[in-house]
Amino acid sequence: MKKGLIILVHIFGILLVLFGVGLQPSAAEEGKTKFTGELEKNAVIRVLENDTAIKQGYLSELLEAFNEEYKEYGIVARDANMDQYSDLENDGPYGYGPDVLYQANDRLMRYVDGKHIQPLPVEDLETFQVLNDSAWDPFQSVVNGKEYTFAVPVNIQGPLLYYRKDLLPENWETEYDENGNGVPDMIESWNHLYNFSKERIEEGKWGYMRSFLEPYFSIGYLYSYGGYAFGNNDTDDTDIGFSKGNSELGASVIRQLAGIMDERCIDDTITVTAYSQLAKGNFFATITTPDVYTLFIDQMIAEGMSKKEAVDNLGIADIPLLPKSGDLSETITDWDSQLMSSIMMGGIQGYAISSYTKYPNASLAFIDFATKYEMIYRRNELLGIAPARFDVAEAVGGLSEIINKNLTSGLISVMPSIRATAQIWTPLQTFFQDVAKDPFRTGSQSSKYTSLEAFKKELEKVDKQIYDAIHTLN
Amino acid sequence: MQDTNKTIKTISDTSLIGKIGLYFKEKWNGIKDLVTNSNKKTMASFGIMGLGQLLNRQWGKGFIYLFIQIGAVFYFVFKGATDFIGLFTLGSVRSNPWEGITGDNSIIMLILGVLSVIFLIAYFMLYIANIKDAYNTQLRIEDGKLPRTLKEEIKDLLDKKFYKTTLFLPIIGVAVFNILPIVFMILIAFTNYGGVIVETGDLVDWVGLDNFKRILTLGQFSETFFKILGWNFIWAILSTSINYFAGLGLALLYNKKCVKGRAFWRGFPIIAFAVPGFITLLAFKFMFSYGGPINQMITGAGGTAIGFLDLDAGWTARMIGIFVNAWITIPSSMLLATGILTNLNNDIYEAAEIDGASLFQQFKSITLPYVLFATTPVLITQFIGNFNNFGIFYFLRGGLYIDGYFLASDTDLLINWLYNLSINNNYYSIGGSISLIIFIITSVISLAVYIMSPSYRQEDTYK
Repeated sequence: MKKGLIILVHIFGILLVLFGVGLQPSAAEEGKTKFTGELEKNAVIRVLENDTAIKQGYLSELLEAFNEEYKEYGIVARDANMDQYSDLENDGPYGYGPDVLYQANDRLMRYVDGKHIQPLPVEDLETFQVLNDSAWDPFQSVVNGKEYTFAVPVNIQGPLLYYRKDLLPENWETEYDENGNGVPDMIESWNHLYNFSKERIEEGKWGYMRSFLEPYFSIGYLYSYGGYAFGNNDTDDTDIGFSKGNSELGASVIRQLAGIMDERCIDDTITVTAYSQLAKGNFFATITTPDVYTLFIDQMIAEGMSKKEAVDNLGIADIPLLPKSGDLSETITDWDSQLMSSIMMGGIQGYAISSYTKYPNASLAFIDFATKYEMIYRRNELLGIAPARFDVAEAVGGLSEIINKNLTSGLISVMPSIRATAQIWTPLQTFFQDVAKDPFRTGSQSSKYTSLEAFKKELEKVDKQIYDAIHTLN
Repeated sequence: MQDTNKTIKTISDTSLIGKIGLYFKEKWNGIKDLVTNSNKKTMASFGIMGLGQLLNRQWGKGFIYLFIQIGAVFYFVFKGATDFIGLFTLGSVRSNPWEGITGDNSIIMLILGVLSVIFLIAYFMLYIANIKDAYNTQLRIEDGKLPRTLKEEIKDLLDKKFYKTTLFLPIIGVAVFNILPIVFMILIAFTNYGGVIVETGDLVDWVGLDNFKRILTLGQFSETFFKILGWNFIWAILSTSINYFAGLGLALLYNKKCVKGRAFWRGFPIIAFAVPGFITLLAFKFMFSYGGPINQMITGAGGTAIGFLDLDAGWTARMIGIFVNAWITIPSSMLLATGILTNLNNDIYEAAEIDGASLFQQFKSITLPYVLFATTPVLITQFIGNFNNFGIFYFLRGGLYIDGYFLASDTDLLINWLYNLSINNNYYSIGGSISLIIFIITSVISLAVYIMSPSYRQEDTYK
């Protein structure tokens, strides 16, 4: 009995030590205003840029110029030397993340919910006055009832039509320029491109070719007819709107376009071969982003053209006008009343500052420096990007100016910046694949989309699928 | 009647439950014996580890135990207790990086909490070992022998008890690299770690069995789960059987003396086996795509392109998956069967032939039982491997959500769905629950099949 008591006392003692001691409160620091304007001396800033900027040598130029400018403060900016899609929410708290990040709006703004990126005093930056509201909008968000700006726009991404000028009919100026504006009709209107593609098929070639598998390039058809991703300016993930407005007309356009291609538009096999097929003259036109311009040129050179010939023969234009009726076979007699502009999905890349940085003021100085006129101009020269700064876009002209104006006029609808965006891709990809497959359904697989109602019904399913993916388990 | 009682007793003694009961009974008697007969020196080790040994002048061992206790007390006072309590609370301070508030990281707290439990168990085991050691020394002294010195103990660890020395590091490794992640995964299944919580770094809470209830009862979710589970069983059974029997068939074929150039023909499946699996999968994906060579041949011959893997493909895509999996796996089954068949005594076949057994009878009664006996554990491994075969449909037909499925397609297996939920959509807790269900299903099937197999029941037949 006595021994039992001793054992019990010992066990009690051990438990007391284990559970009664060592309860430490978690450390918490008081908040402070980070952007004081006072540069942190001898700061080392880790800058996360995209891979192309690193490969093309732009980042090293930028870092060198910045380090020279801020030499007197001992501030040094360095390549963060980490994956361009660095996971700030997991790495940041432990000091491994970058101080400054350059990413697309949808990726950057994911970090806002967890307050992983810092709201910025953008009014103090030189670039503030030379960016349109439409460039700032994707980087703004309301937190606790107050609107903040989280990144500084640098580059606009938006699709363009690439085509072969030398494959235009010789008589296009007399036969294919109905509105007499000196631009071939098949470059300006989907109806004319549709008809021209049919003519090419009769010759054993293809007109317009593009895989519908990638939602990024296909969503625009829904947007153009009133569809949208999320309600309240792409901020309300309870309102999914791909079936809203007359978006079924856009889906019907996709089905019609699939009809002038072949089954390869259902999967992604033509995505990678588009450059060589266009260069060989098998495809007349395709849609893609501005940053792959050189890939087309390289392929055309590989097909035996000189660089000058390749540059001269490769045409780039705005996305053609869509028929208001959604009927690509409709004869266009009155361009103004029958056609409307296409709205395509785009994105904006910009600089943000990690909330975990020890050097917020030096990081802000870096962003200010990197978004100055000279640096953005140089960025355009080296990387061929479309600048968000309208003064640089105007100075550069060409593609950059077209894309910049498209953003301002609303013809580029920027990817939503909320986290729920991640849930829209697969349901849409499945839907576009389904629509693209429809003209090729034969035999036991009868066509699914025989009426506009069928498109609408299926789009409503897509909306529900996305809603369920976002909200079922949350 | 007496015989029957004897049989029942024997069964209860040899059955797993009987053995466990007996083990604990013996342990309990040992503890009673130790507590009743301990002298003061042994009792000292109850309070302070190593004190009994020190009183018996076993200095080295005594100080080692003492330092272990001091280290443990320091660990628990300064860290272990907080970690242990954190396992239950999973944190209370929300992070606010804008304000520089670090906040609690529930997942790190969960891992540290599990580690503290592992340390606690380890400490408890050392504590028991310390008492048993003091008691054994007491018994030696009572028998008139001298207490063992540290040198003798070390000598023993390098000789008679060398298994303990060699197993020490692997056990630590298993605890940290195997047990900890498994326990972590199991525990995640009982939390709400997923969705917004992952994205915002918010605090995680324990939710009991809620995730399992959701999987089984939440409308579209449960429907998807049972549909995928059904297909998963069909897939695992079909692909395992096809791969196994086709491999065996090829091995038998290449064993026949009438086949000319056997080594040459045997090389082809080996080449297929040598190509990395995902390269083969990507190649097959391209072959069956609309722009691939199969469709080019079909359209070239005037036919219409076939969507082998597109969203309407359904069973066509499933069959292609089974075919591609067979292409990748049959060579390894063939090599295994070839190795086993070389050990089979040809005299048995000659005897069977003399007895008039047909070729099929010889296969059914000699070859198959022998190969099955030798390969049942491998067969089970292949079944589990196929049940959890992630790559086939991820590479062949990823990125599709089909009508009637929640975040999945009709070719997805549970493991693909698990990936969609946990990696693509951050629903880690639901993913953890599905992992646990997969684990239960595969372990029950494996155990049942193994116990019923000749490898277990007729262990001595082929020895």
